[in-house]
Amino acid sequence: MIINGQYNIGHICTRQQCDLGRGDKVAMRWISQHMELHDYTFRDLDLQSNRFANALQGLGFQPGDACFTLLPKMPEQFFSFLGILKLQVVAGTLFSNFGEEALLDRLGDSRARGIITKKSFLKKLTRIRGQLPNLTTVILVDIDQHQADGVLSYPQLVREASDQFSAAPTSAQTPSVLHYTSGSTGKPKGVQHLHQSVLSQNRTAREVLQLTKDEIYWCTADQGWVTGTSYGIIGPWSLGVTQVHFGGGYNAEHWFNILEQEKVTVWYSAPTALRMLLREEPELFTGRDLSLLKHIFSVGEPLNPEVIHWARRTLGKEIYDTWFQTETGAIMISNRPGLEVRPGSMGQPAPGIEAAIIADDGSPADDGEQGNLCVRPGWPSMFSTYLNNDEVYRQKFRGGYYYSGDTAFKDADGYFWFLGRSDDVINTAGHLVSPFEVESALLEIPEIAESGVIAAPDELLFEKVVAYISLHAQAEYTPELELRIRLYISNKVSTIATPQEIHVIDKIPKNKSGKIMRRVLKARYLGTDAGDTSTMEED
Amino acid sequence: MDTKTKLQGIFRQVFDDDSIVIERATTADDIDGWDSLSHMNLIVAVEMGFSIRFNVKDVRALKDVGDLIDIIDKKLAG
Repeated sequence: MIINGQYNIGHICTRQQCDLGRGDKVAMRWISQHMELHDYTFRDLDLQSNRFANALQGLGFQPGDACFTLLPKMPEQFFSFLGILKLQVVAGTLFSNFGEEALLDRLGDSRARGIITKKSFLKKLTRIRGQLPNLTTVILVDIDQHQADGVLSYPQLVREASDQFSAAPTSAQTPSVLHYTSGSTGKPKGVQHLHQSVLSQNRTAREVLQLTKDEIYWCTADQGWVTGTSYGIIGPWSLGVTQVHFGGGYNAEHWFNILEQEKVTVWYSAPTALRMLLREEPELFTGRDLSLLKHIFSVGEPLNPEVIHWARRTLGKEIYDTWFQTETGAIMISNRPGLEVRPGSMGQPAPGIEAAIIADDGSPADDGEQGNLCVRPGWPSMFSTYLNNDEVYRQKFRGGYYYSGDTAFKDADGYFWFLGRSDDVINTAGHLVSPFEVESALLEIPEIAESGVIAAPDELLFEKVVAYISLHAQAEYTPELELRIRLYISNKVSTIATPQEIHVIDKIPKNKSGKIMRRVLKARYLGTDAGDTSTMEED
Repeated sequence: MDTKTKLQGIFRQVFDDDSIVIERATTADDIDGWDSLSHMNLIVAVEMGFSIRFNVKDVRALKDVGDLIDIIDKKLAG
């Protein structure tokens, strides 16, 4: 796949495919939210991304600068992402439902120089722009002309740019994609990847997802998520595979119409979406011709056996669960065709990956024993650092292993079984939410004196965000306050982080150092024993 | 103020976007940020704004803004 030492992901996914004779092949069948179709060939991808690379270059962007997209799924997301990479600018992607605090954290930490977004998101960006001195360029995809206030028009930029661009020779070690991930404490961390990550994404797309050049492939993940870039852009297009991309949200009927009418052969989705399908009326699936659909894969949270059994029963298909993280950049452990599926298991390590369960003392855990899920470093898509936080990066590596932060066990046959997180990070519908971020935002609401946020089990979302709050003396908890809290978290952090439940208590349990004892809150929620509370702060 | 106009104000508040204009045919696909989680915020805000309560069946039946307006009007009349 690497020709003449050129590792540039933007080049490999576009120009190289044309050079290999795929210029006229459909790269992306775009389906709008209103189910209108538009095909883009690999040549179209190449020319469109060239135009954007030239536009950015004309604006003075240099290799190593950071430029983000804040877009729902739409063609400009893909063109700009690839164009950014062609110029060796670092491509960051942001969920369009991020609130202003979340945007400020990410754009500020990365010293982002540019952002591509829509008019509807400009308001939240405008409110924080004064705190982002490096953010010189704001580009809107849905205005036809540049605005007088310096906000630029994407259509005008690409209209005026050349469609010829040659990516400079790009080494394996050149920074490429930047995703932010949440931890249980502190601000979100910028997970930096390198152009060489394409090696892992290409290989796992072939060997796990079983993509060949003849597939019609659909990955439902948003591009704000690592799955959306690794397997919604890079892996499949580096193989010259035709992708379906849909601009609408979850809609069971639309989704199954797409699978059927577009003759999708490999489908990659998420457990929450699959669980939502499981709740649909069975008539929706009867009479569907899914004979061309060979494989369904899932990623984001553990796939419960019930969903696997439903797919076997209702669709006559196997669902293969896969596991990876923003930090790993590519699938590390998976179920896959040719490997017996054990419902509830994560599967076995992907080809070329050495995974292990390590006990807290650093020794290998016995089969069946719970421990830290670790991976031997060295795979090409391994993150190169946490931006501006190399110390925390180094802490993730001990005794020759990368510690994922997940806990699991391995059975005697080499299958891995997910058990949970070793920290307080909340995995809701496949998205990691930092309890710290939500707690901090809650404290900005004048009525709230203290806050503690935990994960609670949820049948649909895997985990849900549950907030405990205590109020200032004069404050009263009313439906109006609850709505204000929900909207505040939605608009400041993200809709994903919005608490599904809010509980008012007299005092948030803290230890003598003032640290929130989330395990005590969790035990309270679950009605279980809180364990040792000797370090808890007294009244 | 008619139901649609009042509802539009609630949409603007929930989605933090003063430029939102709703029509009866407007769906979640037409408004950036209208996902399953913000939908819950919308439902709570509508309940509060109109002093009504939705049940699960009401919420599941909603396909577009027109459905929402009809349910609100029905509950207000009832």
